[in-house]
Amino acid sequence: MMAPAAATRAPLLSVRGLTKDFRMGGLFSRDRHRALNAVDVDIPHGRIVALVGESGSGKSTLARCLARLEQPSSGQVLLDGEDVLRTQKRGASRAYRSTVQMVFQDPFGSLNPVHRVEHFLRRALLVHGRPAGEDELRELITTVGLTEDMLESYPHELSGGQRQRVAIARALAVDPRLVLADEPTSMLDVSVRIGILNLMRRLRDEHGISLLYITHDLASARYVADTTQVLFAGELVEGGDSLALMDRPAHPYTQLLLSAVPDPERTEGYDPVLRAGLRAAVLTPESCPYEDEGTCSRTEPVRHTVGEDDGQPHWVRCHLYAPATPTARRVLTAATPEVENV
Amino acid sequence: MTVPSHRTASPHRPVPSREPVLDVRNLRVEYGGDGRSVVGADNVSFTIGAGEIFGLAGESGCGKSTVANAVMRLLKPPAQITAGSILFDGRDVLAMDPRELRAFRWREIAMVFQSAMNSLNPVLTIGEQIGDIFTTHERMRKRRARARSGELLELVGIDPARLKAYPHQLSGGMRQRVVIAMAVALKPTLLIMDEPTTALDVVVQQEIMAQIGDLQRELGFSVLFITHDISLMVELSHRMGVMYGGRLVELAAAKELFAQPLHPYTQALMNAFPPLTGPRVELTGLADTPRTEHGCGFHAHCPDDRSDCSTNIPDLREVAAGRFVARTGGGAR
Repeated sequence: MMAPAAATRAPLLSVRGLTKDFRMGGLFSRDRHRALNAVDVDIPHGRIVALVGESGSGKSTLARCLARLEQPSSGQVLLDGEDVLRTQKRGASRAYRSTVQMVFQDPFGSLNPVHRVEHFLRRALLVHGRPAGEDELRELITTVGLTEDMLESYPHELSGGQRQRVAIARALAVDPRLVLADEPTSMLDVSVRIGILNLMRRLRDEHGISLLYITHDLASARYVADTTQVLFAGELVEGGDSLALMDRPAHPYTQLLLSAVPDPERTEGYDPVLRAGLRAAVLTPESCPYEDEGTCSRTEPVRHTVGEDDGQPHWVRCHLYAPATPTARRVLTAATPEVENV
Repeated sequence: MTVPSHRTASPHRPVPSREPVLDVRNLRVEYGGDGRSVVGADNVSFTIGAGEIFGLAGESGCGKSTVANAVMRLLKPPAQITAGSILFDGRDVLAMDPRELRAFRWREIAMVFQSAMNSLNPVLTIGEQIGDIFTTHERMRKRRARARSGELLELVGIDPARLKAYPHQLSGGMRQRVVIAMAVALKPTLLIMDEPTTALDVVVQQEIMAQIGDLQRELGFSVLFITHDISLMVELSHRMGVMYGGRLVELAAAKELFAQPLHPYTQALMNAFPPLTGPRVELTGLADTPRTEHGCGFHAHCPDDRSDCSTNIPDLREVAAGRFVARTGGGAR
């Protein structure tokens, strides 16, 4: 499934130290809520990167920052090595917008009900100065697995899954290299979710499009994404190859998330005591069941690689996995956090 | 497979009694008007025993919510119950008059609706809304109702101080718990839950489900649990039915059904959820074709024996003790 060649190529989009503060309260309020804190992510060419976490963990904020719908407070967004936050200060250029496209969660709200499907696609093509003939429209609509006659349909005539496909077709109209998909399946019925996930895989495999897939459904992230990043309270806590990460979750929060996925085949079942411990650990670092010294409250954890012995390497930010020797620790702390090799 | 289905429930749960609390027989609901009608549920029969958790699974539009609303007598025109019977504790629910219904609803059958957390009144505090149940149904004094409301909140793990909170001050998960607390306030015999956790994320969902499990063990009510998430259902339910196109296509003990689904639709529905373990294999999911009068809309995935399916889904047939499947030919695979 993975082309090994891509590992050597520079990533399509790199995020470095991205921080986003929201002002709380009134106009003159000085209260800030940090929605994202120093997030580092790489999105390689032709890969699907999943971003998982609970509601309020900052997943959507990250996507909105990348789509330039929000202005990050600090940090870098490097597209092909160019820091777009610096070079395009006042908002994204048209070139950026045609490279990075977004698909929203709610296909019922993102399509104007008074227009036909054809209108959305044609408009997207025209705005970006592309030919918008019948052939182009036909190609777009069939790429997302719909039939040509649906070009004539109004959004209300389509099912949720079909509407989401139209939203994806609209994103594809400008020939993007990166699609940010913010929970594209969570409003859809089970029967069509897999179809959308398979479409995302096809876009990657056949069109070489990179995707950032934002979800709280870990099973679907495992199914569709090459790498998965776990976001907790605005910080990335674990990341790496999806299969490795979910087979050997290291961070308490990742374990908490995974333990919450219903799985009838799980033998040990639900353990409220363990869950309460994990919950406490992620909320108050002092009570981490794995680290009785409460190191997290004193020092920021840095990225460590785990699972190398099992052949399932990925990184985790947790003191529990810190190398034993002080020298190694110093080196790791000093170095810029190395984003995982895909 | 010769064990009665009730006995196969997981060992840590109390074994449900054999006397059904709810007995739905050959239920048919039609949505009519303008000279044409759509069948929302057809020939649906199942029973729920005392203390039993029964699940109904299926995708949108399969009729599972229609069945739930029929049991509560909440269907409004153009929906109409055109055939069948619903017995609750031996009483005919369909024959109840409005006065009887008013006493019956909430006290005997309570319901947690889909997106229930948005059903709280935004301008009343949580305490006022819970208290309403006691003052209306039990004619309790305000002060007493307030105390009871506090106890209820504690039951679902929320600090009674939150009685003074307005719904917008609570998180989605907490609002959902409040709604569940309200549903069990009068200690109903049967609790209907229609997709109680769909709008919540996984961690909160798990906590709510555990809460429901605890409440059920504590208060001993029966549950009709409706969801499209088969894994979640298998974890919680004793027995479950799978609905498709308004009809039950399979009915069995939850663990058995999960271990060996017999109906091709059940298999496809289970195949629509990516697994958390094992190698990554391409899933096909479900066909996106609607059901028509010429076929059930599911032909593409069906194996050999569908001679009789083209016009309708066949009736349930018992293939082993407590295992029913809607297939014409063959037995257990």
